[in-house]
Amino acid sequence: MNDPETAGAGSLSRRTFLKGLGTSAVAAVAAQTTAVAAELEKVNAEKIVGPGPVPVTLNVNGRKLKLQLEPRVTLLDALRNYSSLTGAKEGCDRAACGACTVLLDDTPIYSCQKLAVEAQGREITTVEGLAKGDKLSKVQQAFIEKDALQCGYCTPGFLISVTALLKQNPHPTADEVKHACAGNLCRCGTHPHILQAVFEAAGVKATSKTEVIHV
Amino acid sequence: MKSFAYATALSTDSARQLVADHGAYLAGGNDLLGLLKDYLISGPNILVNVKSLPGLNQIERGDKSWTIGALVTVAELERDPDIAKVFPGLHEAAMEIASPQIRNVATVGGNLAQHSRCWYFRQRDVSCLKKGGNLCYAREGDNRYHSLFSGNDCISPVVSSLGTTLAALDATAIVLRDGKETRLSMAELYRKAWTEPTAHHSLNPGDLILRVEIPTARTASAYLQVSDKHTFDWALVSCAAAANIAGGKLNQPRVALGSISPVPHQVEAANAFLDGKTLDDDIVSQAADLILKDARPLAHNAYKVPMAHALVRRTLLKLKS
Repeated sequence: MNDPETAGAGSLSRRTFLKGLGTSAVAAVAAQTTAVAAELEKVNAEKIVGPGPVPVTLNVNGRKLKLQLEPRVTLLDALRNYSSLTGAKEGCDRAACGACTVLLDDTPIYSCQKLAVEAQGREITTVEGLAKGDKLSKVQQAFIEKDALQCGYCTPGFLISVTALLKQNPHPTADEVKHACAGNLCRCGTHPHILQAVFEAAGVKATSKTEVIHV
Repeated sequence: MKSFAYATALSTDSARQLVADHGAYLAGGNDLLGLLKDYLISGPNILVNVKSLPGLNQIERGDKSWTIGALVTVAELERDPDIAKVFPGLHEAAMEIASPQIRNVATVGGNLAQHSRCWYFRQRDVSCLKKGGNLCYAREGDNRYHSLFSGNDCISPVVSSLGTTLAALDATAIVLRDGKETRLSMAELYRKAWTEPTAHHSLNPGDLILRVEIPTARTASAYLQVSDKHTFDWALVSCAAAANIAGGKLNQPRVALGSISPVPHQVEAANAFLDGKTLDDDIVSQAADLILKDARPLAHNAYKVPMAHALVRRTLLKLKS
C-alpha cells in the first residue's frame, strides 16, 4: 500500500495538474468546493478521457490525493486500494449494505456506486476524517460508550450517516434516526445500541424504553 | 467492470454525440454501475456524465403543470415541501425509494429508466429471455417477485415507483429523441416492455429523458407499497392513485400499480368506473376487482393478488385524507 499523500501521483505534479486545468480553474480553487467542481466540469467537459488511467485529484478529509485511475475505478476502490484509506468498507459493492458510506460535501453516499473521476472537486469525508487528531468526534465517543458495535464492519458507514444526520438535525426523533440509517445494515443486530448512541451524541433523552428497543 | 472512456457533456446535443452508438448516459449511476459490475449489458465503450446539462436539475412550479428536471434527485423530491403539498403521492413514493444514500444521488430520469430487478436477469451466468436468450427462467423457477400480467413471455415487473406514481398523476416524459423533444405518456414510456422481452422501457438507444411534466389537475394523490422489509426494499406490490375530489366525488381518477406487470399497471375500465363515485369500502373494492380480474398468478406469486387488492383499496381511501 502506498502513502495516501503520494499514491499514484505518477509523473503529474500538482503544478502541472493545475496548469492543465487552465487559469479559470486555478482561480476557483480558493472559492467554494462546489464552484471548483463546476470549474473542473467546464474545463474537462466534452473531452473524452480513458479508458486508460487518467489523472484524478480527490479532496479527502481535507487533503488532496493525486491519483492515476481508469474511469471505471469506483470512489471506494480509489480510497481503499489506491490510497490506503480502508475506513470505508466494501460489503456488497452493489449499493445495498451501507458499509462504504462516505460524505460527499456533507451528503452521505455509497462510495461503491460512484466513479472516482466524478468525485473530483468535491469534499469527501471518510470515517478517518471524523476525529480531530486523537480526539474522537461526539458520535464516535457515543458509539463506544453505548457499545454500539459488535464486529464493527458496518460501523464506519453508520458513523458517517449519523454524523450527517446530526449536522442537519441536531435533535432527531427515533423515527428520524431510523429513516437516516435505513441505508446501513448491521448483521450483528446492534441497532438498539446505535439508536442509544445517537441519542447520547445528540443529547436527546429517549421518551420511552420501547422507543429504544423497538427498532 | 469492463473499462470505458468517460466524458462530461455540457449540452444535450454534445451528450448525444458523445454517447454515439455504443455509449451510456451517466447520472446517479446506481443502476448503471450495478449492471456494469455484473456484465449484464453489452458495452458501453463510453459513459457520458449528463449531470452538468443546464436546466435539468430544476423543479418549475406552474399553475396548470409542474416540470421536474430529469436530474432532480429523489432526495430533492422527498424534501421539497411544496411537492408534499401539491403531489403528496409523489412525496410518499420518493420517501420509500431505496435508502438515503441512494436517494441522495438517484435521479428522476434514472429511476424511470432503471432496468429489471429479476434475479435471473441479475445473475450474470444466466442468459434469460430479457438478455436475448430463449427462456424465461422465472416462469418455471422461483417467481415470487414476478408479474401477474405480461404481454410477452418475460415476467420481470416494472420497479420504478416514480413511474407508477407519475402514471397515476398522468404525467408526460419529455425525451430527447433524434435531436427533437418527444412527449411520451407514462404508458408510452413503458409500452415496449409489455410486448418485447428484452425491453424494460420504450426508449431507443441514445434517447435521453429531459423532464417530466405533471398536471396539477388532480389535487389528491397517494402512494403505498408493501415490501418484505420495512425500509430499504423493493416493493412486492406498489399502488398510486390520484384524482380531484369535489363535493366528495372523484373526478379524473387514475390508479396505477407497480411490481405486478412489466409496465405501470393501469386499467381504464377501473378509472372510468371510479369517475364521479364517492369513496367507500364497497366502491374501492369493486375498483380493485376490475383492476385485478385478468391477473394470472404463477406458482409463487399468487399472494400478490390479495395484496394488490388491499393496496388499491387502501390507496384510494387514502385520497380522502
